[in-house]
Parts: sequence; structure tokens; C-alpha cells
Amino acid sequence: MKLAHPGLRSALAAEYVLGTMRGAARRRFESYLQSDDALRHEVQRWESHLLPLADRLPAVAPPDRVWKRIEARLDQNVAGKAGPAPSSLWSSLAFWRNLGLASSGLAAALLVAVLALKPVEPDRVLSAVLAEENNVVRIVVEQPRAGLLNVKMVKPWRTDSGFAHELWVIPKQGAPRSVGVINDATDTQIRLAGLDARLADGAAFAVSLEPPGGSPTGAPTGKVVCQGSIAWMPVKSSRPGTQI
Amino acid sequence: MSDPGTSDKLAGLLAQCGLGNRRAFAELYEASKSKLFAVSLRIVRERHIAEEVLQESFVSIWNNAAKYASAKSAPMTWMTAIVRNRSLDIVRRPLVEIADEDDVFALNMQDERPGPPEQLNIRRDQVRIERCLKGLDAEQLQTISLAFFQGLTHSEVADHLGRPLGTVKTHIRRGLQKLKGCLEP
Repeated sequence: MKLAHPGLRSALAAEYVLGTMRGAARRRFESYLQSDDALRHEVQRWESHLLPLADRLPAVAPPDRVWKRIEARLDQNVAGKAGPAPSSLWSSLAFWRNLGLASSGLAAALLVAVLALKPVEPDRVLSAVLAEENNVVRIVVEQPRAGLLNVKMVKPWRTDSGFAHELWVIPKQGAPRSVGVINDATDTQIRLAGLDARLADGAAFAVSLEPPGGSPTGAPTGKVVCQGSIAWMPVKSSRPGTQI
Repeated sequence: MSDPGTSDKLAGLLAQCGLGNRRAFAELYEASKSKLFAVSLRIVRERHIAEEVLQESFVSIWNNAAKYASAKSAPMTWMTAIVRNRSLDIVRRPLVEIADEDDVFALNMQDERPGPPEQLNIRRDQVRIERCLKGLDAEQLQTISLAFFQGLTHSEVADHLGRPLGTVKTHIRRGLQKLKGCLEP
């Protein structure tokens, strides 16, 4: 899809908001929106134009159970909290943690591909596919050997956003631990003292937007842009190339 | 959407939600649930699915409330977009009977409904879009209304109206172009 033509961009934004753009086209368009501010702005304009019409619909009261379920979901998130941090971030991480391995088909397929390619060394290996809320995969994290983490860029971010992308490991219990700032648009290799201990009880990874240089507080402060659960795979043999 | 007073109030509640205020969240839900449930119900048609959409949308609204400030849109517009997007993402229905075409005509008519005092205030956005919709051809208005209110795809609109798909696409595209010309002169 060529998105250079202004008329076309506006027409697509309109059909997106109207709802006639569906399925794969809709998801593709949403992935463009992630990185195209002007297009997002065009969508917002159409939303401001068209969505007020929804006020025309006669109101329908939802049953009380909906609110109870919403509260339960929020409480569940709070229960996963381990320290003071922005609630939105924590909620989404805790929610995500509870989802376990419910990754999208694409993520699962990528995970298998990553594991199959990997020369194995430790007695277990870690992999994670980090996706946005809409399942668009952003990065893949793998641990080829002790003390090293590879962050592979699947869908690069803009490099001029003014934010740093910081990678966090979310342990089964407790607060997220920083693994470091990663490159916006290219692969990153992370070597860090105590890396393996930091990862040992990891349940998930998340990437948050932080000020340049990384979080000033040691805890995530900005929006979580992608996340994914960690898959630990036991390794039967230490021969490189062994398939799992 | 709605009048400026309500809009300011909802924006204030959203800001509070961004700071983790659950009581503000409850108030926000009360104030908007019935409109938003109606939005989803129209698209997904099944109540239990609409309930789930509403539930997940509000979890998302809570999680993203801190980002609302930068969205630069009216609070109801912002929340409606979340509910509509979620509804459009999950709707997988066979083409069933479409209730009616009242929406089309509802758009055409003057809004003379009496309402509570706040409804007497000027709803600028709404008035503007409705004025512009009146400038559309009947077929453009009909196809756009079916798509917007019922969440129909191009081919569902075509089936429903018994018109060729290409014709429907053209009506919708030209109608949207015309709306843009009217809304953004």
C-alpha cells in the first residue's frame, strides 16, 4: 500500500474510522499508525468528525456484572503490584503476566524459529517475543549463553522520538528490573554484571519509554510499548545446533 | 461529543484516572457506560460480546488514561474510538438481518428531541457533522450510515442493499470525500 499520496492517506483514515476497513488491512493500517504521526493525526481528525454521531444512538444500559468484572480485573492488577509505580504500567504488566503464554500465533511461530536457530549452551534457554497491544511484534529477546542477551529488532522504532527504549525483566514476584536501554532501530547485545541472576525468575519482558539515558528512578516511568512472556526451555544436550 | 460542560467533566475524570483514582473511574464509567455499550452492541450485535468489549475497553481506558491528555480529542470521542476499534476487531458475524434503516433517516431529520438541560447546549461537533451529512446524496448517506452505525463492511452493505460492491465502495468513498470538503473547508 502506498501511503504517500495525501488524498489516499485521508481516504484510508476515513475508512478506518468509519469501520469499513477490516481484517488484515485494518491491522496493517494500525501498524502504519504506530510510526506515522501525520497519519495518526488524520485518523484523529476523522474520529473528531465522525464519532460524535455515535451520540445519536439510544443509550443501552449494560448489566451490573460488567462493572463487577472490570473492578475484578483492576483488583487483579493491583494484586500483582509490588511497589510504587505508575498504575497504568503496572496494571498492564500484571494483567499480562496473568495471561501466561497466550501469545499470538505469529509470536509463537517466531519463538519456535528463534529457538531452532540457537546454538545452545546453558541448561535452559530463554526466549521472548515482545509485541504491542495489537500483537504487532517489535523485538525478540534471546539468551544465547550465560551473561549475554540478544535483542533482535523485528519492527524498528523511530530514532527521533526523544525517548529511550528501556528493557525490563518482570519477575514472578516483585518489581521490574532494568536490563538496560536498547537501540531504537537496530539489534542490541546486552552484557551486564549479574545478568543471569537478574533474569533467573523472569516471567516476562517489557519495554518502556524513558527519558534519554534510561529511567531516572530505576523503575519504569513511561508507557509500556511492547511486552512478552519469557519462555524457558530446558536444554537436553549442550551440542550446538541441538533442536528443541 | 455532548456539551462542553460534560466534556470538561469527563476530561477531568480521565485525568484523575491517570493518577490512579478509582472513584473517578467509577464515575467515568457511570457517565459513559450506556452510550458506549450502545456503540458496541450495534456493531457486535450479541449482548455477551458487547459486554466483554465494554469490559475490556474500560480496562484499556483505565490503563491508558494517563495518555489521554495528549490525545487532543474530546473524552467521549477518545473512549468511543477505543470501544469501536475493539468491536470492529472482534466482530465475526454471519450477515444476519439488519434491524432497520432508521439510522439513515435519523441522521436526515432535524433533532427536535427535548432533552435534559445540558442537551440544550450547543454540541458543536455534532451539529457540524450533521449539517455536512445533509449535503450528501441519499445513497452516500445510506451507505455511510449503515457502515458507521451497524459496523457493516463494504460487502455487507452491498448485500444488504442489493447493490454491486463497486457501487457501494464508490458511494462511500465519494461521500467521505464530500464530508471532508464540508468539514474542513
